[in-house]
Amino acid sequence: MLMHVFAQIVLATEEGVPVPISEEADSGGGIDLLLPAAEELIAGIIAFSIVFFFVWKWAIPALNATLAARQQAIAAELESAEKAKLEAESLLTDYRTQVAGAKEEAAQIVSDARDAGESVKADIVTRAETEAEQVKVRAQEEIDSERVRVASDLKRQVADLSIDVAQKVVGSSIDANSQRELVDRYIDELGGVR
Amino acid sequence: MDELILATAECDLNENAVCAPENVKDLFEFRVEVINILGFPITRTVFLIFLAGALAIALLYFGLRKRATQPGKYQLSIEGLMTFVKDEIAVGIIGPTGIKYYPYLMALFIFILIGNVFEITPFVNFPITSRMAIPLFLSLLTWVIFVFAGFKRNGLSYLTDIIWPPGVPVFLKPLVGLIEFFSTFLVRPFSLAVRLFANLVAGHVMLTLLLSTAFISITAMLSGEIGIVKGLFGFAWWALALAIFMFEVIVILLQAYIFTLLSAVYIDTSVNVEH
Repeated sequence: MLMHVFAQIVLATEEGVPVPISEEADSGGGIDLLLPAAEELIAGIIAFSIVFFFVWKWAIPALNATLAARQQAIAAELESAEKAKLEAESLLTDYRTQVAGAKEEAAQIVSDARDAGESVKADIVTRAETEAEQVKVRAQEEIDSERVRVASDLKRQVADLSIDVAQKVVGSSIDANSQRELVDRYIDELGGVR
Repeated sequence: MDELILATAECDLNENAVCAPENVKDLFEFRVEVINILGFPITRTVFLIFLAGALAIALLYFGLRKRATQPGKYQLSIEGLMTFVKDEIAVGIIGPTGIKYYPYLMALFIFILIGNVFEITPFVNFPITSRMAIPLFLSLLTWVIFVFAGFKRNGLSYLTDIIWPPGVPVFLKPLVGLIEFFSTFLVRPFSLAVRLFANLVAGHVMLTLLLSTAFISITAMLSGEIGIVKGLFGFAWWALALAIFMFEVIVILLQAYIFTLLSAVYIDTSVNVEH
């Protein structure tokens, strides 16, 4: 059945419906293949010419423009990258100097603080020593004055006590003359003590 | 499928292992007029020739249209293709003056490449470069260009240096000159055209015969017209056709490259004479 269809198609073309363009001899074999068909040659010339003009006038300029633009873009990109790098480097140097300065400053502050502390400590110690000395002196003075006061008190009490005792002992056994004598002497003695 | 049917119309699978038309011409001539524009017949082949031109333009146009600074894959491939022809063929072979011939070589490469790719394009399956019109026209164009360039560059000494080559012993000059003359002016365009043409013809014959035989064998087996053993041969032809298909991919690229490369080499021998 399939073969029928093929045969019909072949018959149709052989009978000239639709019409073949040229009536070349079928016995030509493969040699006909080496001869160009006129309409194909013309089509080839036209098609290739169009392609050639397109490539020449549009495609190659477009390619060149694209590549040039890319080259420029890459160059600009590299330049800006270089610039950014330099900037970053200078920033880094800045920061490094700043950090170094800050470290120095910190060390200075610490040492200053230590010095200040030392001086405060010395001050305090000196003041404390002075105060202690003053306290000691005052205490000594107080002790001295107290001793004096106590001594005088004691003297007075001894005198009073002596008189009392003397009165009690002597009483009536002593006449008025000897009593006066004794008292006077005693008073003299007391005066000697004083 | 028309061409397959035409090619194998009278195939008797009980007698032949491979279906082939009585005349190989039947595989290549589709001169049935599809439409006629202002007296110019548009056959299938003519249509394909124009299609190849349009595709070549579209391929380049859509590749370079955006001119993106950061190109996509497609733009990059087209740029790669174009810079390859420029750097490796035009400037690479001819030298700095080769940039003048770059548009021609580029158009040549892309046009032949697409014409060749039609051989393995589904539903087309017909390389326009297997029609002598295309290789012949292009090789004659190359011939005109390199002869013209030779005369323009070297004046009449271009011709006399070929006929009476300097640096060759006097008694050999006539012989060498004769050989050089024939090889440069007669053999070159012919060999250039035939190399491309014959490669694509061979590939097309192999592919169409194997694929159509496979198709007919398998359909005939399925409809019970032939036995299963014969039908299975169809699958073998099919597998073989696929292997050849892969091979043809290489041929397609290589022949487009060789045609362009040799055109550049011929122009180079005219422009930079040192022999």
